[in-house]
Amino acid sequence: MREFDFAEPRSVAEASQMLAEYGDDARIIAGGSALMLAMRQRMLAPTHLISVARLPRLHGIDFDPHQGLRIGAMSRHIDVARSELVKAHAPVLARMAAQVANPQVRNQGTIGGNLCYADPSTDPPGCLMALDASVVLGSTRGERVLSMEEFLVDYYTTAMESDELLLEIRVPLQAPGTLGEYTRFLRTAAEHRPLVSVALVVQREGQICHQARLAIGASTPIPTRLRRAEDCLRGKTVNAQLASEVASIVAEDIQPVSDLRGSSEFRRAMVRTVTRRTVATLFGIDINEGVAA
Amino acid sequence: MSTHRIECQVNGESHSAEVASRRLLSDFLRDDLHLTGTKRGCETGTCGACSVLLDGEVIKSCLMLAVQVQGRSITTIEGLAANEQLHPLQKNFMQCGGLQCGYCTPGFIMASCDLLKNTPQPNCEEVRHGLNGNLCRCTGYTQIVESVLHAAQEMHHGN
Repeated sequence: MREFDFAEPRSVAEASQMLAEYGDDARIIAGGSALMLAMRQRMLAPTHLISVARLPRLHGIDFDPHQGLRIGAMSRHIDVARSELVKAHAPVLARMAAQVANPQVRNQGTIGGNLCYADPSTDPPGCLMALDASVVLGSTRGERVLSMEEFLVDYYTTAMESDELLLEIRVPLQAPGTLGEYTRFLRTAAEHRPLVSVALVVQREGQICHQARLAIGASTPIPTRLRRAEDCLRGKTVNAQLASEVASIVAEDIQPVSDLRGSSEFRRAMVRTVTRRTVATLFGIDINEGVAA
Repeated sequence: MSTHRIECQVNGESHSAEVASRRLLSDFLRDDLHLTGTKRGCETGTCGACSVLLDGEVIKSCLMLAVQVQGRSITTIEGLAANEQLHPLQKNFMQCGGLQCGYCTPGFIMASCDLLKNTPQPNCEEVRHGLNGNLCRCTGYTQIVESVLHAAQEMHHGN
């Protein structure tokens, strides 16, 4: 690992000034688990690390009955997984966070760091997209709120300006009857990064699906909303047949990446399977009912 | 390159040290404090041999900078035995054959500490899930899981 200076600013403004001053030579360090890997492999060689660990604005998880959940960017995956507020108001997010990587990474890595790194093979962004979450970015110029779709631009690329910090994640109030399911597929049990992830958040009344938000992650450069599949679910009575139809639409509409961990065709096939299972689980239906496997 | 004065507790002892910003926690523990029980394995966050407890929670010390532990408390494998008495996890890893070459063992034991703190009586599946950040290339894991299950029983019943 190359040499660098380590700074611990005490305010968002001070951190933003440092980022503006050092430009591309600076990197923000939150938990550091992903950044250390990238730096040790010399994929990144910043001369300045700016730690956001001691910025109070980035800590804590709160709930407001009008706004929903506010999750500080420095919240670690384990904090999200164990938070009673998250479990009560976005249980699918807590269940997702409990599965990220491995215990050591969940104890060190943060949800904010995860989003800013924008690694495609990870869990949080897709789940947050299905929950209609947004991010709050801050700099000396003020704050702005972006939806997950606006924030995630491409493979390892976000819409953040070079002097901006991710301050918090907001998860809006979920309407009554909202249920979520997050399913990840690993190529082998020993892998920690999903090859496919499916996040589905629906407003359900019995077997009727009133609203649906479906995001596929890990198999595309950034998580993708599948609007044609959402339309197919909306207003319908969900059965095994419909679950298969939705899965076929998803498989048709995504553009999976191809890499050493899985070819594009393998990912497409697994996206279809995992989507069908996710819809079935969420609506409590027997996946093989009336459908040839 | 900046250097930093850090104050931290390691195995209950206060330490004050001047560290370079790029000093890894694993190197600080092994090369500066000579606590060589913590192993450097893959050094890419995969194997878990460098696992230690930070404020009671397991992390990989090859993925953390020493400057990040300012004001915090670390426990390494050397800090587990009390008054010459091995920790139940150490004892049961020996008795159940939870190791062969032993290189991964300190990491497995530290991860098991965290696991048993949060899930005092885990089942087999929970043990495997709790240890999935650690790799062993000798045992095939069966005896590691047994070691943890036995230790959990012993810690619960105190026998």
